[in-house]
This record gives sequence, C-alpha cells and structure tokens, in this order.
Amino acid sequence: MKLATLRLLLCAGAIALAAACHDRPPPLNLPPGAMILHIADADDIPTLDPAAGYDTVSWTFEQAIFDTLLRYGDNNIDLEPDLATSWEAAPDAKTFTFHLRHDARFSNGRSVTSDDLRFGLERVLNPATNSRGMEYYRRIVGAEDFIAHRTSHVAGIETPEPWTIIFHLAEPDPIFPHKLAMPFASAVPREQVEKWGEDFSRHPIGSGAFVLKQWLGGERLVLLRNPYYFQKGLPHLDAIVDSLGASAELQWFRYEAGDLDVVTEIPPAEFPYVMKTPALRDLTLKKTTVTTRYLGMNCQMWPFTDVRVRQAMSYAIDRHKLIALLNGRGIVARGVLPPNLPGYDSAITGYDHDPKKARALLEQAGLAGGFSFDLWMRADQTLLMLGQSVQQDLAEVGIKARLKPVAWGPFLEAIRDPHTAQAFMTGWEADFPDPENFLDALLSRGEWGSNNDSFYYNPEFQRLIDDAKDETDRRARYALYDRAEKIAVDDAPWVFLYYPVTYVIRQPWLRDYEINPMRPSRFERVWVAAH
Amino acid sequence: MLAYLARRFVFGAVVLIGTSLITFAVAFLVPADPAVTLAGAKADPRTLATIRRELGLDKPIYIQYGLYLDRALHGDLGRSYIRRENVTALIEERLPATAVLAITAIILSLILGIAMGVIAAASRGRALDHALLFTSLALVSMPVFWLGTMLLIAGGLYVRSFPLGGFSGPRSLVLPALTLALGSAGYYSRILHTNLTEALEQDYVRTARGKGVSRSGVMLHHAMANALLPLVTLAGLDLAGMLSGVVLTETVFNWPGIGRLAYEAVFNLDVPLIMGTVLFSALLIVVANLVVDVIYVWLDPRISLAETR
Repeated sequence: MKLATLRLLLCAGAIALAAACHDRPPPLNLPPGAMILHIADADDIPTLDPAAGYDTVSWTFEQAIFDTLLRYGDNNIDLEPDLATSWEAAPDAKTFTFHLRHDARFSNGRSVTSDDLRFGLERVLNPATNSRGMEYYRRIVGAEDFIAHRTSHVAGIETPEPWTIIFHLAEPDPIFPHKLAMPFASAVPREQVEKWGEDFSRHPIGSGAFVLKQWLGGERLVLLRNPYYFQKGLPHLDAIVDSLGASAELQWFRYEAGDLDVVTEIPPAEFPYVMKTPALRDLTLKKTTVTTRYLGMNCQMWPFTDVRVRQAMSYAIDRHKLIALLNGRGIVARGVLPPNLPGYDSAITGYDHDPKKARALLEQAGLAGGFSFDLWMRADQTLLMLGQSVQQDLAEVGIKARLKPVAWGPFLEAIRDPHTAQAFMTGWEADFPDPENFLDALLSRGEWGSNNDSFYYNPEFQRLIDDAKDETDRRARYALYDRAEKIAVDDAPWVFLYYPVTYVIRQPWLRDYEINPMRPSRFERVWVAAH
Repeated sequence: MLAYLARRFVFGAVVLIGTSLITFAVAFLVPADPAVTLAGAKADPRTLATIRRELGLDKPIYIQYGLYLDRALHGDLGRSYIRRENVTALIEERLPATAVLAITAIILSLILGIAMGVIAAASRGRALDHALLFTSLALVSMPVFWLGTMLLIAGGLYVRSFPLGGFSGPRSLVLPALTLALGSAGYYSRILHTNLTEALEQDYVRTARGKGVSRSGVMLHHAMANALLPLVTLAGLDLAGMLSGVVLTETVFNWPGIGRLAYEAVFNLDVPLIMGTVLFSALLIVVANLVVDVIYVWLDPRISLAETR
C-alpha cells in the first residue's frame, strides 16, 4: 500500500516537472522573420545600472541601452557625438560646454534633457550608490561637497536650458570629454530610478538603440530595438538574445552547431585548430587591445631598489616565448604605452631577451650568485602558465622566483602594501585613450598605495607627467609624456611583457560586427544576412 | 511525535545559527576587502573608504553580525555586492531550475538504481551480476564534468536530439538530469544489491518461498520492503544536496540554478551572496533530515521516533 503511495507520488512529481518545464524560457513572441543576433556570455550580467557596472559584460549591454554625451567609433577610439551635437572646451581645459540633440528620447517616449545627464552623474557621485565611477568625476567643482552631503547638487554641473550642459572643473583636465564617454555618465531618467530604487538594474530605461525585454538570471537576456532611437534606420537588429552562463567550451559547441552568431572567447584548445583551418580563420576578427601586461617590481624593496637588477630582469625574460604560449594572441611589449594608444612611440625599443646582459648587470649589482623572491599573481590558469615560463627564464640567470598565486582581493592588498610584494604580474586596460591613464595612473608618486604598485618614483619623470597633465596642447602634451615614458623604460620598474590581441569568430552570415580596441563591441550597425 | 519535532526544530535552529556564525567568520578571515570587490581594482583609497563607511564595514564585527542575523531572521539576506540585488530574490529566481533538475535526477537515479540493484540481486553470482557491478562502479567513478561534456557532445552536437545546454523545456532536462542521476544510480544499486542479498537470506523470505510465493513476488513484496529503507535516507539527503546547487552539472550545461549562482558568488568574492547560498543550503539539509526521519517512521512503524532521542 505504502509502495503504491510512493509510486503515486513519483508519478505526480513527474507530471509537476513536465508542467514546470513547459514554456521555459517564456516565448518572445517576435514576428516571423525578425532579425535576431544570438550571442552568449560565460557569466551572468553583473548589472545593467550604468552607475554600478564596471566590467566588459555590463558595459556591453549598458552601452546598448543607454547613451552618453560622447562615444567611441565602432572600431576605433576616436570620440564622436552621441547625445551631444557639438561641444566646446575652454582654453584652460576647466570648462566644457555640450549642446544636446533635440530628438533623443528614452524608451518610454520622454525626451532626454540636460537634467537627465546631470542626474546620472550625481547618482555616480552619491556615496549611497557605491559607484565605481565616482573618482572620474571628483574634479568637477563642488563634487567633494556633494559627496560629503553638504550640497544637494554638484555646483559645477550647470544646466541653463534643456539642451545645454556645462561642466566646471576645479583643475584643468584636457581629457575630461573621454570620461563623459564612459557608461557611468549615461543619461538616466530620474522618475525610473525613483520608481525602482536599487532594482533599477532590472528595469533600466535609457535612450540607446535597444531596450531590455527580458532578463532571466543566469539564463538569458533579451534586448529589443528601441522604437524611439534617434538614429534613423538603426539599429538593424530586431532583437539580441544573449545566453547567460555558457562556458567557453559550450559556446564553441553552439557556434559549431550554428546556434551562436559570434563567439568572443575562442577556447584555448580550439584556437590552433581555428587558425589552421582556412574556412574558420577567415571568419575571425582580431584587434590589439589598449592594454599592457607587465611584471611589476617594488622599487622600494630589495633587490629591486637597484635599477641594474630591474634591467637584468627585463633582459632575462623571453617575451616571445610568452606570446607562443598564448598561441600568438599578443605583441611583445617594448614600453608602457600600448600601440593603439595616442601618444605611443614606436621608437621605444625596450629590452630584448639577452641572458648574457642580464648576468652582467647582476654581477655589477653584486648579485652574481642570484637571489630569490616571491612573484605574486592572481590565481588564474593562463597567468600561472606564463609565470612558469618567466620562472624558467629567470632561473637561467640564477634568479629564483617563487610563484605566489592568490585571489584577486588578497592580490590587490599585497601589491598595494609597500612592504609585502617584491614583484607581481598584472596588467592595465585603458579606461580612456590617453597616456595619462597609464603613466600618471600607474607610475606617479601620488598613486603609491593605489595603482603605482611598483612604488616607482623619479623626480624628473614626475615633473614631466605633472606638466603634461595640465598641458592643453595635444602635441606638446604627448611630447612631455613621451619623454616621461623613455625615463620609465630606462628605470625599468616593470618588465614590459606583452600587449594582448583579442580574437573573435563570427558566422559567415553576420555582418558589420566590429571589435573596438578599448570597449565592448556595439550592436547598432550589426545585421544578420539570410542563411 | 510533536515533542520530537519541536526538539529537532530547535536543533535545526542551532545548526543554522552555527552555520551563519562560521560563514560570517570565514568571510571576515578571507583577506578580501568587500570595498575592493565593489569598487574594482582601479578604485582609489578615498573611494574605498567612502564605500566601507556606506556599508557599515567600519562597525565592530559583532555589531555587523548582529545586524546580519536580525535581517536574515526577517527573510532579508542582504544585497549582493556585485549585482546590487536582493540575495533572497536572486535565490528565489534560481530555485525553480535547480528544483526541476534535482527532483528529476533523483527520480531517475532511483528508477535506474533500483532496477540495476534488483536485477543484480536476482542474478547473484552470474555474469549479469558482475557486469552490473562493473557498470555501477564505473558510474560512481565517472567525474560529473567529463560525463556531462561527453553526453553534451554526443546528444547535443552529433545526434542533435537535445539542446546544447540551457533550460528550454523537457528535452533540455534529459542530459543534465542523466549526468546527475547516473552516479547516484550506481551507488543506489550497490546499496540495494547488498540489502537485497541479505534480505533474501532472512527467515521471513524463506517462509514466503515455502508458502509458494513466486520469485518475483518474494523479491518485490517481501525482500524489497526492508531493503529499500536505507535508500530513502540516501535519496532524501541527496535531494537536499542537489537542491542547494549542483555546481559542476549546472556549469557544464549552462543550467540557471543555485549552484552556478554560488559558484559565481565565490568567484567574485561576493560575501552576502556566498552567505545567502550557504545558509540556504544549510536550511535545506536541516529540513531534509527532518523529513527523512518522518518518512522513515511512516514506512516502517517498527521504528519509533522516541527511540532516536
């Protein structure tokens, strides 16, 4: 009798399961023949709130849903108008005036005005938002008072009329327009934020080309075209369906089955096969990113206090071997600035692999017998593989490196402490295309304990980057940064390892899909041919 | 019975408070700064200090724990650092997918495990018994991520009978449920085989045979009734384990469940989400233990809850 009851329960369970599976995921009800882009991501999307997101996946969709005053081209890092039609910068680079287009509308139909841009930035500066973008806008007059809750508005953001916004800065900042092209500075409708509060991320309303239709956590995200988008004839796509949480391997299977239109992360095991197969290789797109990967040495800790030891490290490591380990997905780094960055100087040759020179320099430094040190890095399979290669190269000149892989948080704490990490492997991806974002952000004295983790200081270098920061003439500015970079290369606070090259593979029917060297790809002009 | 349930309820509450205490302590021992998690690697110390103040991370640890516990008792597990969303809502969103997968896998594993166990016991000492022994050991030993990937390649990529991952209807359930079920089925079949072999040598079975009950009747109605009992405990606890997330299977099959949510939380050092998923798992285990005990008594009245004191 009881066994019969159990059997009955099992049958009821099976029926309940079948019901639960029905209509999963809910249908999209798109018209027949709708042009849909199918993509996938390895993780869920952290957020769609432009004040909160600071990662590639969030920015991919934030820049599809929201607009900023300025944006970058689809495949380059040149600023172009987005919500702005034109802008003027005062000669002292302390005042910036933007004129807005009149036809921009949020996806709820309301016009976008200067107040929406001001509101978006004040959200970022409001400590309660915990925005990662706060520091980029601290130079606006009155920002510190607003952050400290002493004022209800940021005094330096003026909105004299709905189609004009003026920014007053406390210090000159010639690259401020680039900071307004970050998704943090998106136009955000106040009424929606007030309606949804902290759940605005699940109900984002912007003026971008697409609008959020559905976000099933860990499952899929669907964007539909925004009928109010101001660019006539765009976007071409009716919808974007993003499958969330698909590993690189699973994405590859789906690409092979024709279920995905583009894959942005070709699994390392498949990459050589792709490049050896002409039909597949022809479908790949590649771009050198505005990123530098390096091995930083703490210039305040023995033995890296001695420039000869740092130079010996630079000569000892074979960067070509690292590129080979990456299946060719990188370019040997010669200096601080990556090749796509304005201000890059191809005449800087850096250090070639020369173990003999390395040994000679170590001898001059009184370390002919070598030395040992801990090499900190994030616990990541690729980094460990590269770390082992570095370890072997250093061993050839008598230097013993002990690899110390740790989680991201402890890694940052260790390298930001002046007395903990002697050396570390990391990288820096540009936030905006200017030498300041590398030379000042990573090597200035003011960044000790923050992002200057090699605790590098050279008074001449510092003078040059301080002068460059306030220089409003672009050419003169780049010349100052160039001189500073040459000093940094000679001082070798880092072993410049490589500039990563990113590869994606698309289906033959996917058209006008571009890679941007610094931002995620955009979807406005992408279209899918009949197949 | 009521006194027993009340006692178990109190024990369960103690276990949950203990779990929350340990998880909270571990979250503080891990050298990861939540402000860095929130603000990102490029944040300057001023931004980090502002965030610490806003989150109340500058308060003493016991006050932070007290506040957390108070909120948790009211069903609020806090907000995820990375997603900025309510942890309870995130778990609720992922629970249905995990529940469907776990329940299907348990049903499948019981069906397969019982079938294999009965057939093996019925053909004791013969080639079929040895073959099933080998099969069940192989199933138990196969790593889930390998088995899942192989099933995915075979069933999804080559045969194309099943979707390549995702939760999109009954067909999408087959491969992940099979991946989860096969291992458990192998284990259940071994347990059942041993129990049935023992039961078949008991006096009451011999009596039944002597009374002329058929071979299948003896097996299914007499020996099985006792041999199945341990499987109830195992399956109950397995179900609780699966409901709290099956990380590898969910990852391989892009299944939008709690396991992947927990995995992503750990990967991002998202402390509120880690604590939420751990507490939720602990709650499921406590409840499952209680339910299993009650079902045990219902199935076998010879067992008294009072004796388990």
